[in-house]
Amino acid sequence: MLNKLKDRDSLILVGSVFCLALILWLLALPLSWVPAPIGPAAHQFADAAITTIELTIWSGILGILLGVVAAIGKLSPIPPVRWIADLYVWVIRGTPLLLQILFFYGLSNTAPQLQAPEFWIGVIALSLNVGAYNAEVIRAGINAVARGQVEAARSLGLNSMYTFWDVVLPQAVRISLPPLANNLVALLKDSSLAYTIGVVELTMIYTRVQAESFQPVPVSITTGLVYLVLTTTFTQFASALERKLATGKR
Amino acid sequence: MRDGKPIITVEQVRKSWGAFTALKDVSITFREGEVVCIIGPSGSGKSTLLRTINRLEKQDTGRIVVDGIELDNDLKHIDAVRAEVGMVFQSFNLFSHKTVLDNITLAPRRVRKWSKEKATQVAFELLERVGLSAHAHKYPAQLSGGQQQRVAIARALAMQPKIMLFDEPTSALDPEMVNEVLLVMRDLAKSGMTMLVVTHEMGFAREVADRVIFFDHGNIVEESDNPQQFFSNPSHPRAQAFLSQIKHAS
Ligand SMILES: Nc1ncnc2c1ncn2[C@@H]1O[C@H](COP(=O)(O)OP(=O)(O)O)[C@@H](O)[C@H]1O
Ligand SMILES: [Mg+2]
Repeated sequence: MLNKLKDRDSLILVGSVFCLALILWLLALPLSWVPAPIGPAAHQFADAAITTIELTIWSGILGILLGVVAAIGKLSPIPPVRWIADLYVWVIRGTPLLLQILFFYGLSNTAPQLQAPEFWIGVIALSLNVGAYNAEVIRAGINAVARGQVEAARSLGLNSMYTFWDVVLPQAVRISLPPLANNLVALLKDSSLAYTIGVVELTMIYTRVQAESFQPVPVSITTGLVYLVLTTTFTQFASALERKLATGKR
Repeated sequence: MRDGKPIITVEQVRKSWGAFTALKDVSITFREGEVVCIIGPSGSGKSTLLRTINRLEKQDTGRIVVDGIELDNDLKHIDAVRAEVGMVFQSFNLFSHKTVLDNITLAPRRVRKWSKEKATQVAFELLERVGLSAHAHKYPAQLSGGQQQRVAIARALAMQPKIMLFDEPTSALDPEMVNEVLLVMRDLAKSGMTMLVVTHEMGFAREVADRVIFFDHGNIVEESDNPQQFFSNPSHPRAQAFLSQIKHAS
């Protein structure tokens, strides 16, 4: 029974990755059957969906890493490390994401050495943003790991580094997974703000197509539907992963 | 076994939390190959004594030397002692995200730097010894309490410790599972392992113990080299009262 359940989750995991690839690859086809103004812009929508996903995945991965680092920083016994981590989370969570994106865009224009493609400026701003939210979630997860787990590890002679990497962190991530998945879906939607600095993602296509056609309602509905398909696939992936990692949970 | 050479020396060890003193200048020596059962009312400091011996708690004053290694603030000394001393907890504390096999191989691979093959081979030998080879690839949550505790014993033994500490290893078990764990411990005692066992299992203590220590209010109030005599006729009034309570309960 348990094995069957596990297998079904593996299937959903692989399936949702496969689905995402298929959706991204074939998206232009159904869209091209829709009457103007959508049909003629089908390929633009499809390419933009890929950009949105790329923004989300890059920022998602970097955001997890930043979240882990900042969570460790927040729990550090060294006060200055704690202060830096607290400052980072405080600034990011206390200011609008749009402003953060505009800040990094502006910053990159102040010096030629700082020039970078808009896409990567978007990734930097988005990953710093989601990283701050992830930090809170992972810190809570670390604190929620049972004390006995750490004591068992220490009593076996594992030093504090091994205890953290082999025992505490994997369990903390498992505990944090549902809220981390929420953050990822929120990130996918937040990536729309990257259009303000010229990243050609879904929302940018919305602005372009509706400006050419003067039909904001069907264009925004189409854009919304594409977002829905993407967020739903992500949610499915996250909940399958959560169930799979839950194996062995008490 | 009573003439083995001293392997743990506890001198004038005191441990307090706030105004409450859990260990009041306890001094005792344990010898190589000795099986010592520690009994006493709840809250009398039995766990605290075991936990100071592998530094899960730091004593406030006093000295502890384990196998020639002084437990001071040197992290190397602490890790070295922990690698020599195995501990089995009342609540098992198996790593819930790892399989039985991974629970057992983790510390030998990380601390002893054994290859995966060697660690796995030793793990299977130990699983054989505790009668659980068929369960190597299960997660702790899939096992009964008695099975989990036997895995916990195997995990501690995998580090090839010189000393094993047992803190009420059967207290959290359903009655029908107590024996399977005691059986493993009895075998271990016969093999010559140095064992400190906090337990209320009088039958086990009578049969296996070389020495019985009775704790009360942070002091060792009675110590006997003759468990049979201690259990039938304790000399200290607190021990008499405690033993008659236990006998009535069981
Ligand atoms: N971390 C702690 N903080 C405060 N008090 C503690 C702590 N650990 C143990 N104690 C107290 O120390 C006393 C002895 O505890 P313990 O050694 O666990 O007793 P025993 O194992 O004999 O039941 C208890 O009264 C307990 O409440
Ligand atoms: Mg206790």
